[in-house]
Amino acid sequence: MATSVVMPALELAQETGKLVAWRKKEGDSVSKGEPLLEVETDKAVVEIEAPADGVLAAVTAQAGAVIAVGKTIAWILRPGETPPAETAPADSGRHAAAAEPVAAATSAPVAARAAGKGGGRISPKARRFAQEHGIDLAMLRGSGSEGEILTSDVEAAIAAAGAPTQVEVPGSIWRLMAERTLQSWTTVPHFFVVRDVDAGALNETRKQRGPAIERERSVSLTHTDLLVALVARALARHPRVNASWTPKGIRSNEEINIGVAIAVADGVVATVIKNAGQIALGDISVQRRDLAERAKGGRTRPADIAGATFTISNLGMYHVDAFTAIISPPQAAILAVGSITDRVVPVDGRPAVRPIVTLTLSCDHRVIDGAHGALFMNDLADAVRDPEKWLQ
Amino acid sequence: MPEVIARELTFGEAIREALAEEMRRDSRVVILGEDVAEAGTPFKVLAGLVQEFGPERVVDTPISEAGFTGIGVGAAMTGLRPVVDIMFGDFITLTMDQMANQAAKVHYMSGGMWKVPMVMRTTLGATRRSAAQHSQSLHAWFCHIPGLKVIMPSTPYDVKGLLKAAIRDDNPVIVFEDKMMYKLKGPVPVEEYTIPIGKADIKRAGEDITIVATSSMVQVALGAAVMLEEIGISAEVVDPRTLWPLDEHTLVESAKKTSRAIVIDEGYARYGTTAELASVIVEGAFFHLDQPVARMGAMHVPIPFSPPLEDATVPTERSVFDVARALCSKR
Repeated sequence: MATSVVMPALELAQETGKLVAWRKKEGDSVSKGEPLLEVETDKAVVEIEAPADGVLAAVTAQAGAVIAVGKTIAWILRPGETPPAETAPADSGRHAAAAEPVAAATSAPVAARAAGKGGGRISPKARRFAQEHGIDLAMLRGSGSEGEILTSDVEAAIAAAGAPTQVEVPGSIWRLMAERTLQSWTTVPHFFVVRDVDAGALNETRKQRGPAIERERSVSLTHTDLLVALVARALARHPRVNASWTPKGIRSNEEINIGVAIAVADGVVATVIKNAGQIALGDISVQRRDLAERAKGGRTRPADIAGATFTISNLGMYHVDAFTAIISPPQAAILAVGSITDRVVPVDGRPAVRPIVTLTLSCDHRVIDGAHGALFMNDLADAVRDPEKWLQ
Repeated sequence: MPEVIARELTFGEAIREALAEEMRRDSRVVILGEDVAEAGTPFKVLAGLVQEFGPERVVDTPISEAGFTGIGVGAAMTGLRPVVDIMFGDFITLTMDQMANQAAKVHYMSGGMWKVPMVMRTTLGATRRSAAQHSQSLHAWFCHIPGLKVIMPSTPYDVKGLLKAAIRDDNPVIVFEDKMMYKLKGPVPVEEYTIPIGKADIKRAGEDITIVATSSMVQVALGAAVMLEEIGISAEVVDPRTLWPLDEHTLVESAKKTSRAIVIDEGYARYGTTAELASVIVEGAFFHLDQPVARMGAMHVPIPFSPPLEDATVPTERSVFDVARALCSKR
């Protein structure tokens, strides 16, 4: 085995030694015990003997160098041997700052620090239990002697909750809806404009035009279809309500494409009727029906939901009087439609029972101000009160 | 435990029987120490052995622990299996170089060419009114040194089986016996048995709290467990039996089961055995713990001679009961 030549420690407190001279050159044969090098301490120059028979090789320190005690400065090789590959520094362990930490010093991994909740103290087991069972620790009162939350407190909360808390993993449509509505609600400054409108004429128009469409297109004309057509016509007069906020400014949208919110098994999708102001009422009905069928069947195509510039959400069929809707950016507004119900209203100074619908417009205040919204609603209310005029 | 246990021995008698059996079995087993032969030690544990085995195998030594411990190490290296008797555990301070630098390291430094199959028997424990120099429990000193095994039996059954295993072990093994336990009686089977070194024993099963206790503190813990049972707390008493090697698994699993743990040892709590055992439990069972691990050991003072003061320095059934009740109680 190759024998290392190390800088010797000649005194107890010695940390380094100065190599004064090599007595042999690299490649020389040496015999164990014969002088190999001279080392200077602060007291004397000392001759160091060769530790083995062989050939001096791999000399790494030259005369004049100051070298840490214990460091290998050369090797003595027997025939056929080569110096070992570069080894870890042979400095004393105490000073081996660069060396890898010794793994044996740690007997077990330090437990990961559990996420802290402010306030009361929580036992490690209670914290783990709460996490495993979906218990919110912030809702618990600790029963420990100093108010600590203990496992028994979590167990009591689990028992109080009855069946184990179920966490439903939402489908992709629901997750998308959650993300979009959160983003809209938290970044779009919403305000709302509300109008109660007499829907008697709207009902009448549906009654008048419905049978022909039914006959010719095999589809029933709905209030939503009529509203799509009327909203599109009102929007043509109010381009601001059909616009979008962009980082560069307010973008006017050329087309008037009306999204219709449709409830499906897993959330809501807004299918789009393009150029709704320019197509026949029957075409709107057919498109609306086809889009709805595809959406409920989970067969919505990308084009079905792309390009809306305004959305209508109608909960009238659920007997909702009125509600507010969340805008779908980059659209600037959405119309929430309640049910058409008979209400007592003044007509010509006298109480009368009339079918009334409450329309609520949600507006992005970056694009639409109160006056814009109010003027649009004025025209829309007029259209609902006199659909035939607007459908000309 | 074997079936036939129709007899009881005292702790001291179990030690004497273990030694006698091993001396009959193996002629290399010899005893060295102060007053071990004619006197049979001040505790009379070895009484009668010199009559059976003669003064050449039960050797009275001068009062020089460093000297006769060194003789024991050398005798072990050269073929005997000595049992060195250190009358009071307080005197191990005099044997430290022989044990920590010689006995513990010879096997390693000789590349396995030498071994030291030696047993040191010594004592620990306070409350004997023996004052500060004869009442300490210094076993942690040896636990700190790689190469030494440390045994802390708590019952006549355990001390016999473990001492016999220690004598047959090829490594230096130190057996600590609480001098207050020599008269403790317990079942010991007549037939041959040994107990593996490094295996803990659950002395009492329980559900609510784990009490890890060593040596005579096991008896204290069992007493506290009875008191706790009366107030509806089910305590599990775990006896590591050997401090090194240490059966970490049994300690950790018990703490995982009960969620609470107390560690009791008669050595000084500061930097002591309890610190190591508590650390093992916390590292292994952290996410299963409902309370901090409590440590109970000797007060950090010289053991007083005054009986009332002495009794206040070490854990008692009452103090263990109080700590356990506090850990299990609610506001």
